[in-house]
Amino acid sequence: MPQTALTKTLAETAHGLRRPPGIPDMVLIFTLSGEAFAISVSAVHEILDPIPATCVPNASAFAPGLINVRGAIAPLIDVRQRLRMPPATSSAEARVIVLELPVGGAPTRLAILADGVEEVIEADLAALEAVPELGARWPEQFVKGVAHRGDGLVILLDTETLFRPDPSTGHERPPQA
Amino acid sequence: MEEINPAIATFVQEAREQLEGLEGLLLDLERGTEPGQMDLVQVDAVFRTLHTIKGSGAMFGFSTLAQFTHHFEEAFDRVREGRLAIDQRLIDLSLRARDHMTALLDSGSDGPAADELAAGQEAADLLAGLAAITGEAAPSGTAAPDADTSNVISIARMRRWSILFRPEPSALRNGMRPDLLMAELAGFGTIDMAVDVSAVPPLEDLAADECLLAWRCTLETNKPRSAIEAVFIFADDALLEIEEIGGDAADAQAAAAVAAPAARQAARPAANSPGESVRVPAAKLDEIMDQLGELVIVQARLNQIAGARGDAELESVAEEVERLVTGLRDATLSVRMMPIEAVFGKFRRVVRDLSAELSKDVALITEGGETEIDKNVIDRLSEPLVHMIRNSMDHGLEDADRRRTAGKPARGTVRLSARQEGGEVLIAIEDDGAGLDAEAIRAKAVERGLLAPDAQPTTTELHQLIFAPGFSTAKALSSVSGRGVGMDAVRSTVDALRGSVEVMSHPGRGTRVTLRLPVTLAIIDGLLVRLGEAVFVIPLSVVEECVEMEVAERRRESGRTILQIREHLVPFLDLDDVFSRPPSTEPRRRVVIIKADGARIGLVVDDILGQNQTVIKTLSVYHRDVQGFAGATILGDGGVALIIDVAMLARRAQAERAAIRPVA
Repeated sequence: MPQTALTKTLAETAHGLRRPPGIPDMVLIFTLSGEAFAISVSAVHEILDPIPATCVPNASAFAPGLINVRGAIAPLIDVRQRLRMPPATSSAEARVIVLELPVGGAPTRLAILADGVEEVIEADLAALEAVPELGARWPEQFVKGVAHRGDGLVILLDTETLFRPDPSTGHERPPQA
Repeated sequence: MEEINPAIATFVQEAREQLEGLEGLLLDLERGTEPGQMDLVQVDAVFRTLHTIKGSGAMFGFSTLAQFTHHFEEAFDRVREGRLAIDQRLIDLSLRARDHMTALLDSGSDGPAADELAAGQEAADLLAGLAAITGEAAPSGTAAPDADTSNVISIARMRRWSILFRPEPSALRNGMRPDLLMAELAGFGTIDMAVDVSAVPPLEDLAADECLLAWRCTLETNKPRSAIEAVFIFADDALLEIEEIGGDAADAQAAAAVAAPAARQAARPAANSPGESVRVPAAKLDEIMDQLGELVIVQARLNQIAGARGDAELESVAEEVERLVTGLRDATLSVRMMPIEAVFGKFRRVVRDLSAELSKDVALITEGGETEIDKNVIDRLSEPLVHMIRNSMDHGLEDADRRRTAGKPARGTVRLSARQEGGEVLIAIEDDGAGLDAEAIRAKAVERGLLAPDAQPTTTELHQLIFAPGFSTAKALSSVSGRGVGMDAVRSTVDALRGSVEVMSHPGRGTRVTLRLPVTLAIIDGLLVRLGEAVFVIPLSVVEECVEMEVAERRRESGRTILQIREHLVPFLDLDDVFSRPPSTEPRRRVVIIKADGARIGLVVDDILGQNQTVIKTLSVYHRDVQGFAGATILGDGGVALIIDVAMLARRAQAERAAIRPVA
């Protein structure tokens, strides 16, 4: 789907509607290794073409780098690592999704890599189903539930737990101190 | 009403500044307490400050504060009229009263918190103290007894005054509130008020912001004339006539006498601050700084593009832009600069109170208060400085007996100085005390497991140990220091400000602790270095020199890695190791020699790319705990580079040496 249409939808959602309770939430669908994931559009700041990232030495695998988002430096978060998925392979459809959400109480801008960004749809949060036992390849604390979309399933991610900083992110103190 | 009214916020801000100024004024008065040394200008300033806080406090809903201030003001009103002398008791009481006012201000506008404070023991003590001073003022007699007026006025006799008050036409534009003044007057007793509208022109000629009214009133009160005058203290240009109705000859004389003090009061409050200034919220400055940071980055990119194109016209424009951006950067940075005096000033009180608590006579000398430093640095500086001054006074300075035995003056000296050196500000705290006890430090360090029992550290290394977490050599715990938050708290604050700490100490002669701090936190000059494909920034202020790896002879002595650079041996760290990178395969490498925490260390890199202006961005919560980085920056090509935390690396290099030494 063309990116302009998507951007327009996003803008309309962000500026236009204030969703009264009970009305379905708007979610952004993106793919990782062929699986469709959903994230609430309220957390999405912008979508960019891939940009080179700077590696942070000794950082955790969950937050391996930094990228320049229009003059601001944002941490690049590897959600595959938390979702126990294989590392990304490069693809022409790949996108950087810039999110802005509260982390530890402070509004934080961060970026994730997606294999592709598909569309923005309405998802009826009330109709969410628990992740079926058999298909539970993803750690359940990061998943809010699954929803049906056409023939397939969409996994709605829990942004609060998914982006919680890893307590073992840094090396608390130098071993010699 | 949950939202804070901006006018109230401004009042709180201004009152806080006034209270800070008040402390300085009181300490100045204390210094001049020798008989006959009373400085009328300062007494007036104290009175004006109190009067302003009282008036505006009541206006903005801080009536508890206003009521308390009223009693305080009363005392200084007496001083002002020469009916009360300034003595140690008054100064002590005033300083405590000032602290109480600060507490009332901090407790917010009228509410349970303020009421609780007002009902507390401290408030009661202070009010009793002030009452005792003001109450016995007249009978006790003072250095300058003013029999004519004081004896009459101090008796609470009801008198009737006729008052005419005609504000100057522009008074309203200048923010005067005649209604509040009259209300204050009405609070003094029974008032009969009439408004004189004779000067008001017909409606079509009326300018809405001109005040052409006059107030005539008859006031029956037991307040002295000075209290009535004080109401109008800021209405300097107004026509004010105060006459006692049925007053005798003595009062008529007194009426003539007020002309003089009134003239003295005519000094406007604005005259206190020379030059015009604008109050700007700090957040707005931060915003400008952010924008400027972006501009610097874009400008670097423009330079790069202009260079690549080889277009002379474009290059000249790029140069012009660079010149303007540099000018704008300097101007913006200078706006954020504040003289360090703002922090130094606070310590007069700290030293004074501590002197009393520790029973040590201590003189505080401050130098270089005009040195300017970024406001954000200043804000975080006062806590570590207080800590260091406490340490100096508690542990550094000996008591008077021991000082005399050592042949030193009984009065100890703490010297606080600041000066700028390149892009850094050096702040030193120096005492003429006993110096650091190297043996005590060693024993403690061994006990705490910070040092191997058979280690042979140099004196400098031993001194540096006082900054280790949890280290404190205070033999007895005192209420002043030695509470376990030792100098490591100082170091962590200084680290966070990207500065460093050095200690110098001579047994028997004293100790000097020097803080080196960057002048600004926002932009630094950086040295770009390359490791493989990655680019890192080293703050230029710590770089001493750069050498080729072959030039520096690499030596291994009992397992430690050091370089010989000319006649010096310098320990080094290969940044590939530090950053867990695969070993470099480049044949020619370079060493950046840096100086941190008083030591020289070499950092081995693949190449040195050049210098740039580095706009520092702090790292997010995801990377804040990763060791070795002070932040990140955006390069001219749009890439992100990490800024190396030199102090951390230096400590790591030293720790490696220390860990190896006992084996050697």
